[in-house]
Amino acid sequence: MAAPLPEPALASVLAPQSPPGLPSLVTSRQLRSQRLGRALRLWIPAGVLIFLLAMCFLWPLVYQLPSPTNGDILVASEPPFSPGHILGTDQVGVDIFSQIVYGGQEAFEVAIATTIIGLVVGSAIGITAGYFGRWVDAVLSRVLDVLIAFPALVLALVIAQGLGPSKFHLILALSAFAIPTVGRVTRGSTLVLRSQPFMTAARLAGTRGWRIIVRHIVPNIMPTLVTFSLLGIGILIILEGALDYLGYGTPPPNPSWGNMIATGQTVMTAQPEYVLIPSIFLLVTVIALNMLGDALRERWGVQ
Amino acid sequence: MALVQQVQLQSAPGAGNRARRAAGSPALRLVGRRLLAAIPVLWGVTFLTYVVMSALPNDTAQAALGLKATPAQVAALNHALGLDQPFWVRYWRWLVQVLHGNLGTSITGQSVNSELAQHLPTTLILLAYALVVSLLLAIIVAVLAARRPNGIADRISLAISMLGLSIAPYVLAFILIIVFAVKLGWFPVVSGSLGNTPLSYFKALTLPAASIGFPLFAVYTRLLRADLVEQMQREDYITTAKAKGVSPWRVLIKHALRNSMFTLITVVGLNLGTLVGAAAIIETLFSVPGIGYFLLNSISNHDVPTIEGIVLVFALITVLGNLLADLAYAVLDPRIRYGSTTS
Repeated sequence: MAAPLPEPALASVLAPQSPPGLPSLVTSRQLRSQRLGRALRLWIPAGVLIFLLAMCFLWPLVYQLPSPTNGDILVASEPPFSPGHILGTDQVGVDIFSQIVYGGQEAFEVAIATTIIGLVVGSAIGITAGYFGRWVDAVLSRVLDVLIAFPALVLALVIAQGLGPSKFHLILALSAFAIPTVGRVTRGSTLVLRSQPFMTAARLAGTRGWRIIVRHIVPNIMPTLVTFSLLGIGILIILEGALDYLGYGTPPPNPSWGNMIATGQTVMTAQPEYVLIPSIFLLVTVIALNMLGDALRERWGVQ
Repeated sequence: MALVQQVQLQSAPGAGNRARRAAGSPALRLVGRRLLAAIPVLWGVTFLTYVVMSALPNDTAQAALGLKATPAQVAALNHALGLDQPFWVRYWRWLVQVLHGNLGTSITGQSVNSELAQHLPTTLILLAYALVVSLLLAIIVAVLAARRPNGIADRISLAISMLGLSIAPYVLAFILIIVFAVKLGWFPVVSGSLGNTPLSYFKALTLPAASIGFPLFAVYTRLLRADLVEQMQREDYITTAKAKGVSPWRVLIKHALRNSMFTLITVVGLNLGTLVGAAAIIETLFSVPGIGYFLLNSISNHDVPTIEGIVLVFALITVLGNLLADLAYAVLDPRIRYGSTTS
């Protein structure tokens, strides 16, 4: 019976000697600050968004807000931080904070609903076109080209004006913008995926078409779609505001950020904060969405 | 010039006529393919315009005659306008009319062609102004930023472009009016007329162009900067140029920028469609007498023939923009121009 090898020798026999590591060009402190920076770039915008969503959807459930449509004319044009009205009141005494909260609900609901419609319909078109190729691709690509060539805002205005202003029509109108853009992005990513070896392997293994789509294509295009739709939600919130602003969106007196900005611009000299507050909320929301999209794109390596 | 030489090089000497030589050029074949592909898209746009306008509950005759019109008068006008015909008949008539270059008559009695001729030039100048200035600024800023990624210039440009991406055009326009028109008084707030001299014309269009151009500038800067940085880090020809001792600025401008322009051209072409929507909002805000302002008026007046005409022209501009981007690509990119299969 051979004497047991001393420990270090045993280790060197079992594990192949790894070459000495290259001298690192990055110190551990730099690495740590890089990692911290990356985490902050993700979590600061995410935190801001979570805060805004909670403010718009949870706050009114927990805490009784003043009505966003009816005000007391006796407390009109109160400055911010006045008792009972944290952001003040507008020209007819309606609480500004409560208008921001309910207007924000409207903006998020419309943008998220539109994004979901765009994702489902657009990616169905895009994946079908990209996966089946040939004439299916030719036909669907032309359809997407037509929808893209169609000025989206104009279509939205025409739909909103023809069907009358309502939340549902707003969502319908904005979907005309969301579907073709998602469709084009999905088609591009599917085409790239199709030429990958694992797709050929899956086909050779006899996997059915729909199974390849659900198990191989959809998970792989998810990162692209998620980052893309975060940017899309930002654009949709701006567009929704534009429709409100032009008078084709949420019918007044229902509060919306676009309506507030439009009204606020007319009373700019008398009460500048009435236009500033919704503008700032709009800007912060969209910046947070864009930065979160950027951070996720960096993290997931999406082009 | 180079294209002609290439065509002559490729075809065997003495074989075939000029047309066949031209058909052999990959760039021209690409142009032909793109033109053919644009035809169904254009047809689709006319069809979609017509379907949307017919599907919506718009009563053109009632809108034209006013609320006091009797049902008999409305029916008579409907008949005169051909609106009592089935959908396909109406669409066919409209399509034939459009193919003859006549966009019909608006409910105000004016021909849509003359209305477009009156309002379109202002919008085209406005958009061209915004596009050219934002592109030039974006190229300068992106090159400065890409010289040192994560440097001070890069960080500032990233912050500015993030702001440009996120600000709503109607908020931006308002801020510009307050600062540059009301407080500083440098530019007039347009209201209806743009002035007679070219200088006053451009002065009046500056603020609207800035409102349209700033978001564009942000998009272009981000895109170009990302592409430049990627090229500077990844591409072999950059390493070669650097190894030869070419100065960093020269590498950036002469080598990397030339290549990155392709991405930029494609995006500019694709973006033309969204410009139209921006023009509608901004022109309304500044009361610029352009096509966007006119369109919004037509939408609220139920002026269906005018809306159809304007949407069609806008869609045409978008399709032609994409086509031009493709063609610019084909002319500028030697890989496409010479038909190499490496790309």
